[in-house]
Amino acid sequence: MRKRTLARGLAGIWWGTLFFLYVPLFVIVLFSFNSANSTAVFENFSLAWYRRLFDNEQIINAFGNSLVLAVSSSIIALVIGCLIGYGMYRHRHRKLGWLIALIYLPIVLPDIVFGISEMAFFVQIHAWTGLLEPGLGTMIIAHVTFQIPFVALIVYSRFVGLDPTLFEAAKDLYASPIKRVVHFMVPTIKPALISAFFLSFTLSIDDFVISFFTAGPESATLPIYIWSAIKKGVTPEINAIATLMIGAVAMAAIFSMLFNRQGRR
Amino acid sequence: MVRTSPMASRRRAVVSETRHLLFTVTPGAFWIFIFLVLPSAYLMGVAFMTNGPYGLPQMPLSLDSFERLAGVGFLGWSPGNLYTLLRSLWQTLVSTVLVVIIAYPVAYYITTCREKWRPILLLLVVVPSWTNQVIRAFGWMNLLAPGTPLSSLAESLGLVAPNMGLYPSNFAVTLGLVYNFLPFMVLPLYAAFEKLDTAQVQAAQDLYASPVRAFWHAVFPQTLPGLLAGTVLVAIPAFGMYVIPELLGGGKGMMLGNLVANQFSGSSNWPLGAAGAILMLIATFIGLFAMRRIGKRLGGGEEVVI
Repeated sequence: MRKRTLARGLAGIWWGTLFFLYVPLFVIVLFSFNSANSTAVFENFSLAWYRRLFDNEQIINAFGNSLVLAVSSSIIALVIGCLIGYGMYRHRHRKLGWLIALIYLPIVLPDIVFGISEMAFFVQIHAWTGLLEPGLGTMIIAHVTFQIPFVALIVYSRFVGLDPTLFEAAKDLYASPIKRVVHFMVPTIKPALISAFFLSFTLSIDDFVISFFTAGPESATLPIYIWSAIKKGVTPEINAIATLMIGAVAMAAIFSMLFNRQGRR
Repeated sequence: MVRTSPMASRRRAVVSETRHLLFTVTPGAFWIFIFLVLPSAYLMGVAFMTNGPYGLPQMPLSLDSFERLAGVGFLGWSPGNLYTLLRSLWQTLVSTVLVVIIAYPVAYYITTCREKWRPILLLLVVVPSWTNQVIRAFGWMNLLAPGTPLSSLAESLGLVAPNMGLYPSNFAVTLGLVYNFLPFMVLPLYAAFEKLDTAQVQAAQDLYASPVRAFWHAVFPQTLPGLLAGTVLVAIPAFGMYVIPELLGGGKGMMLGNLVANQFSGSSNWPLGAAGAILMLIATFIGLFAMRRIGKRLGGGEEVVI
């Protein structure tokens, strides 16, 4: 008897929590189809806000910026992070405490301190040398900085999971280091490379604070555009962009669910 | 003919290994050093400079910015900044406790479900946090604004003044923080529950322990590593939060992150902002250190991975 009430209570908390987690997103989606310019009262179904969205050049630009930033920073971070990950593995018997500390620094530093110190630094360097003008370039630099640790740790843990004798075998098989990299290293750590790339990509797309502080006047990404639109005043148009972004996340969730299932089979 | 002694060949191996280490590690180490260590060091330096005419740092070195941070201004001492600091600590504490209270039953519930469903249930908890945090805060703005059902309900219950709505307010900030960080607590707690040794719980029940005592003595110690990991993932970023207080809190809901950020935009005072950033860093490292100590002491030798 007591067990049953406990189980019911647990299920109740679970469904309540799910409701709590999804209600704000649901409201955004719902009001993006509102014909009235209101986020409190729903009048009629309409696609008007979406139509306005696709006429808005700023939004299209912001979307483009987000993509360029995410792809280019992920590629750079992948190359640099892989090298560190391999170096950490190969030389794991040495005392590399300083390197570990350096790699954890971007992870433990609060976003706001990260963003502001880069902004202050870039502004000062720009004042002195004219380099590093705030814009997509500085944003890419900042994003690569917070992506490197994640790539390095993923690649490192993949190497740790491998049988060490494989490396000896590869050394015997392929004489040149370049061949070893192309025919042995890259294929064996391919799953790690793929997941590191996607993690970097998501981290970049999801980031707001660091982008916000390192952005220039013409390099607004989607979250920055939404932020400034909210600051100007809440409109259902924001609901429409937000709905599209929620849709993208939902697709990713469904994919990962299917992927999970396949992996189990 | 040159003969290589074993000594020389070993030395050559060491040299080549070192070259390999440098080749692989240098680009990344350099990158992080130039684009993060140097900027942070620069920011620390700025905190000890004087505020110039346009809010930019100037010589000579001074402790002015720390005095300003403590509330000393042109018009004598004012408690504004102190309130902001206390509010940040309070919001962090309250939201972390609430997250723990919700996450425990949720994580446990998932482990009671069939194994087939567990990954999907976990995914359902995590997916909302994949959407951008600006959008999530905006969702709550929609829900809590004056005139919405929730606000009307709170008004009719007399919880808020008429036509004020639930946002902007400190309550909205707490809500936003709990919403934002819940998944970060559920995941490590779930991992702890999944490894739970049920024999201990069984033993406690066989000895007629009340459910509360059984939980406290048999379940809680086993989930402690997960709880500590979750606390680190929740409390430290919550303390430095910028987006949620800025959107949901308004002027009276400001936290330390907003105080710092404001000094680099609108009301410019770089040295003051940098001093605030140092304060935030100190708090972060004290928090991390404390969690490690607690983890080591209570984890019974089991290193809590942070």
